[in-house]
Amino acid sequence: MSGVSMRGIVKRFPGVLANDHVDLDVGAGEIHALMGENGAGKSTLMSILYGLYRPDSGTVALRGEPVAFGSPSQAIDAGVGMVQQEFALFPQLTVAENVVFGREPTRRGLLDRKAAARAVDELVARHDLRVRPGDRVGDLPVGVRQRVEILKLLYRSADVLILDEPTAVLTPGETDGLFGVLRALAAEGRTVLFVSHKLQEVLAVSDHVTVMRDGKVSAHGPTTDFTPHSLASAMTGREIDLDRVHPAGTPGEPVLELPELTVRAGEIVGIAGVAGNGQNELVSRVTGAAHVPEERGETGSAASASVADNLAVGFHRRRPLSRGGLLRPSEIRKHARAIISRFDVRATERQPMGTLSGGNQQKAILGRELTHDAPLLVVEQPTRGVDVGAIENIHAQLVAYRDAGHGILLISSELTEILALSDRILVMYEGRITAEFGRADADPDRIGLAMAGGAP
Amino acid sequence: MRTAPLKTAPLKTVGVAVLAALVIGTVLLLATGADPLVAYQSIVSGAFGPDGFADTLAYVVPVAGLATALAIPLRAGMVNLGGDGQLVLGAISAVTVGLGTGSAVLALLAGILAGGAYAVLAALCENRFGVPLLVSTLLLSYPAMSLASYLVRFPLKDEGSSLPQTPQLPDGARLPELAALVVVLVVVLVYTVVDARTPAGFEARVTGWNARFAEYAGIDRPRLTVRLLAFSGGTAGLVGAMVAMGFPYRFIDGALITPQYTWIGLLAALLARANPLGTLVAAVFFAALTSGGFAMERATQVPRELTAILQAVLILFLAATSGLLRKRGARV
Repeated sequence: MSGVSMRGIVKRFPGVLANDHVDLDVGAGEIHALMGENGAGKSTLMSILYGLYRPDSGTVALRGEPVAFGSPSQAIDAGVGMVQQEFALFPQLTVAENVVFGREPTRRGLLDRKAAARAVDELVARHDLRVRPGDRVGDLPVGVRQRVEILKLLYRSADVLILDEPTAVLTPGETDGLFGVLRALAAEGRTVLFVSHKLQEVLAVSDHVTVMRDGKVSAHGPTTDFTPHSLASAMTGREIDLDRVHPAGTPGEPVLELPELTVRAGEIVGIAGVAGNGQNELVSRVTGAAHVPEERGETGSAASASVADNLAVGFHRRRPLSRGGLLRPSEIRKHARAIISRFDVRATERQPMGTLSGGNQQKAILGRELTHDAPLLVVEQPTRGVDVGAIENIHAQLVAYRDAGHGILLISSELTEILALSDRILVMYEGRITAEFGRADADPDRIGLAMAGGAP
Repeated sequence: MRTAPLKTAPLKTVGVAVLAALVIGTVLLLATGADPLVAYQSIVSGAFGPDGFADTLAYVVPVAGLATALAIPLRAGMVNLGGDGQLVLGAISAVTVGLGTGSAVLALLAGILAGGAYAVLAALCENRFGVPLLVSTLLLSYPAMSLASYLVRFPLKDEGSSLPQTPQLPDGARLPELAALVVVLVVVLVYTVVDARTPAGFEARVTGWNARFAEYAGIDRPRLTVRLLAFSGGTAGLVGAMVAMGFPYRFIDGALITPQYTWIGLLAALLARANPLGTLVAAVFFAALTSGGFAMERATQVPRELTAILQAVLILFLAATSGLLRKRGARV
């Protein structure tokens, strides 16, 4: 039986053909992966299914019935739910309040808190999501907030679930747990649309795959027909070296000495761990380092300001960007153009930062911080939400920075990234470093176990 | 992807808003039985004609001055709601010093210092005690106005008059209107240069774009708050001093509050997103509309409140068409 059928979808934005006659067929009870780089059109396609956009042409059908949603609330009423990449949660409210928001159980017109907590408790227990309904969402780490988002869908008894990059913040163990949840949901006959660019996860969890590139479907079929390499080349249109592990560095003098860890010049120290295990506190204790923050949009840049202004921050009180107490606009633009060309940022210096893709924003921010030439770079989640193509570039830049004699403290919840880049790997759990691995003994299973609090 | 912030398509946006305001104004005028053409003509001639231009200029000094004063912290996303208090404190300090010394320069300095120091007090309330600036500036405004009322009714009262007003300033402590206008333009010019071309102005803009980004970049917010409020309050105090030192050369209780300079100025600053030149243009426009409204009332018996309606319609349409009130757009 058909769960979702989108046929001949065309969606045009000024200057961009975001969806060019896209077909997507997903059976009920199926986990269907939608892959593609940023800008490939997968978010647009999902936004159409979720009622955020209307297609210029093409049809959408749910369970064989044609539908045309004018708004997400209509889509929700029809049983379509979506977890967006940027969470829509109220930080000052509790988990239970967030979950029931918009569909609150009431008693005599007033919010029935007990019923809300009960309903949420039940969902938490049934799906093994490990969230306390009474916790304030603002106090929770990113990884747990994600589970709250998934709970919201389950509470609204959606039978078509769209998850946009849901594993970006999870540990390998948690990801396996999520996959268990998704499989159980599919087994109940629900349709799961899993938007991702992570090849291994798509291969592990999905039944079918649709790959998009430049607004069109570039490949589709049963997951068993694909390999990591065929998926990567369908996404990028070229051959990608996936399994590259960068050569080891040659450590020199320490550039960071904390009681629990040391980073030397010429080495990358990777901190593996689930978000919220003390990484933020660790980073806040490091001073005098260049820093690429975890939330590049909220902390690392200003979306409405130009690329040039964003790249000038931190350099604006020094020559050549200012001289004699005055800024020099031509030097500010020159400084930006230099970073743009050196780090392959696909943008002009006059463009507002917010109009760049995630990968290009990250390349720009990384470029700005590397340009400081500080002995130590702290970099958090350098490739979260970044295209496969840009990941290669960012990793190569980090390795080159190390090889130029700088120390790097890398904090990432992507174990593959930690393994590919680090000379030494430390695992953080509940605020402490609980395990250390050298390059030779870095075994994904043992590190994954340590990330989940098990003995190394 | 979203385009057209206020900067990129301002003329079209302003055109649409002005047209919409004219259409709605015409409907209202017709409903009151007045001739719209005569009414509009009297607004324009009242604002820019030979008789009215002086009136407009008299509004430009306080409105553009206050607009600039409030735009300075607004550039960094900080709202100073205490313009009235800083304005009045500047005026009464200037008059006190002017009466005592007969020196215009000392009087102006007293106005700047009083307004600036009082605004800094509000900034310290936020930095030290966590009282939001919005609240501390607004609440501190009331005792300042009451203090000025008290001074002008008792210690500084003009004994020859039954009104709550000070004696007239001596000649040496008076300020010609043209000089006040030049001072305001110089302030706008300085703000423009500091905003666009100095590291400090850049840091204020970065803070306005994204406060967390500014913190990450090592910008010291408490220090920035104190500095911006010092300049903001100092400018408001200067404007108060200049208005009191102009005709009729005395401080009259309520004369600075009743015309709502602070609120018109704040609207101008908000509308221009604190851009220095944009703030000046919006302030001059509102000043012209206000003085034109008086002329229209004389010529057509249409109450000048109509110009307040036109102002409101304009602001609403500008806000709607420029996306002023729109939240950060969804991504494609």
